[in-house]
Amino acid sequence: MAKRKMESIGRSGMMALILLCNLTKIFVKASMEVNETQQQHPTNVYHDMGLTRNKIVTAQFECYQKIMKEDMITREEPMCNRTWDGWLCWDDTRAGLTSEQHCPDYFQDFDPSEMVTKICTDSGHWFLHPESNRTWTNYTRCNEHTNEGRVTAMNLFYLALIGHGLSLTSLLISLAIFFHFKSLSCQRITLHKNLFFSFVLNSVITIIWLTAVANNQELVQRNPTSCKVSQFIHLYLFGCNYFWMLCEGIYLHTLIVVAVFAEKQHLMWYYLLGWGFPLIPASIHAIARSYYYNDNCWISSKTSLLYIIHGPICAALLVNLFFLLNIVRVLITKLKVTHQAESSLYMKAVRATLILVPLLGIQYVLLPYKPEGRISSEIYDYIMHILMHYQGLLVATIFCFFNGEVQAVLRRHWNQYNIQFGSSIGNHSDALRSASYTASSITEVQGCYSIDGHSEHMNGKSCFDTDTSMLKSDSPFA
Amino acid sequence: MNFMFQSFLYCCLLVTVGHCLELEVNPESKKRLSIWLGRRLRRDLDSVSVEKTAQLEHFVRPDDIRDTLLPHSSTDIKVRTKRSKNSANQPKRQGCALGTCTVHDLAHRLHQLNNKFKIGSAPIDKISPQGYGRRRRSLPPHRVTLKLEQGRLRPVWSIADSQVHKLEALLRRT
Repeated sequence: MAKRKMESIGRSGMMALILLCNLTKIFVKASMEVNETQQQHPTNVYHDMGLTRNKIVTAQFECYQKIMKEDMITREEPMCNRTWDGWLCWDDTRAGLTSEQHCPDYFQDFDPSEMVTKICTDSGHWFLHPESNRTWTNYTRCNEHTNEGRVTAMNLFYLALIGHGLSLTSLLISLAIFFHFKSLSCQRITLHKNLFFSFVLNSVITIIWLTAVANNQELVQRNPTSCKVSQFIHLYLFGCNYFWMLCEGIYLHTLIVVAVFAEKQHLMWYYLLGWGFPLIPASIHAIARSYYYNDNCWISSKTSLLYIIHGPICAALLVNLFFLLNIVRVLITKLKVTHQAESSLYMKAVRATLILVPLLGIQYVLLPYKPEGRISSEIYDYIMHILMHYQGLLVATIFCFFNGEVQAVLRRHWNQYNIQFGSSIGNHSDALRSASYTASSITEVQGCYSIDGHSEHMNGKSCFDTDTSMLKSDSPFA
Repeated sequence: MNFMFQSFLYCCLLVTVGHCLELEVNPESKKRLSIWLGRRLRRDLDSVSVEKTAQLEHFVRPDDIRDTLLPHSSTDIKVRTKRSKNSANQPKRQGCALGTCTVHDLAHRLHQLNNKFKIGSAPIDKISPQGYGRRRRSLPPHRVTLKLEQGRLRPVWSIADSQVHKLEALLRRT
């Protein structure tokens, strides 16, 4: 491979030399200096970098094909002719207008979101640079902000790694708590477990994807099947995460708004929706990608095929927004029945909303679309990345560490532990332990089954109880 | 009071849904519309300029050579196709712009940043006043004929081992 490359490089170098000689022979009269400077740069700059050169040559080929294929369109006014300027292709432009295009991606320091401009003067000629008196395209904006962009990308990268690291730690601790203390288990906690587990898997695959694939040029260049498979898994788990948020939304909504007389809900459907459904968009995306946009490792984000994944996610989040609004509405109505003071009522509503926003992923709906400008999109990037990569940490904190039931269980076990090993007198500890057990069974009933079990009279005041108990148990402040 | 609150909530919901729908549907439908319009206009243009193209078919006539020689004179056809400014290389905003897509964007950006297979920084002299943007230098006739021949053969270049040809073309044109 390397040998072949060397060979081709050598050959092109030779050819360049021969060509140079020929050119100098042919243009005896032409100015030698101009030829030297103009002909040597391509050999110096491009000859060892295959990708950039191939890109430029391909663009040039396409441009010339285009120029030759299309007829000259008619002009009733002066126009600048279509042309190939060395990097980009320019269409016919009316006199007095400025033509704009995105920067090409030939070089690492060119930002494809910036614009290149070429001015068509009033006389219908392309702009001549006053210094050199030559036709000139303004490429200066392409690498003006490259360093800032690089710094931003690295910041976001480290932000993501730290966020996922913290999220992973807190989520694993939460999962351990949920699994260890069987007294906590109820439907709501089962859903939480699944959500947390999807967060964990998503964090793991995202860290792998960002560090091992996106930063590994050799791997992407080799383009093995495994990296496409990992992109498929990444997208699948990404979907799972959001669909488990939808499951949480559906569960809460059913519990609070719809099924006031319901028995225990069937969790089968939630499992199907949370783990099963995201397979569909991920598979469709994989198939579509392999047919229509089969880039290396499917790493490019510049394709609309990604909407196959993100369309359903966006829909799920919208449904969640609807659920949230409905839940808050019911909550306020029920709170009003009890004739509480207005201010505390709205404080409670706001608190419930704030708690539910990260659980249901509402933040993505409130900031749905990336703005166009450079600075605004940069700010948006920071906000979005913080929200996205730290969501696991936030959810684990709110729904496990600040959860009243979990705190009660932990405190009880801590006390037991203290009593067991702290006191020397055996009789005392036995009596105390039995007391704490009765206490724990009471808290269990109140904490968890007040939502699940007592559904038969949830229609009236007890529904409000459910809401407030949920609020109290989940709220960091209550 | 209750009614007002409810209606406010529903308004919020409606606005969000509307906004999102607009975002998701718009680029697609816009593109389709513009393609359709383009086809219509092209068809009109084709029907008018049939003789002209028939005439020109016999010659391979690269405009980049001709354009320095011919003044921009108006001909007889009055129909003009509408061109979008950015149609040449990249359509305007590609890819996913939803908030949840930022993670793919980050991966893509990291990949771009560390791409060792691209040239690290653009040659400064090409951006400078001395640099790109010039029109092609006019070439002597025998060079032109050679070029035309290659212009026809070019599809072959992209498939076969073509480093030499490509480099040659690059040397002459850039």
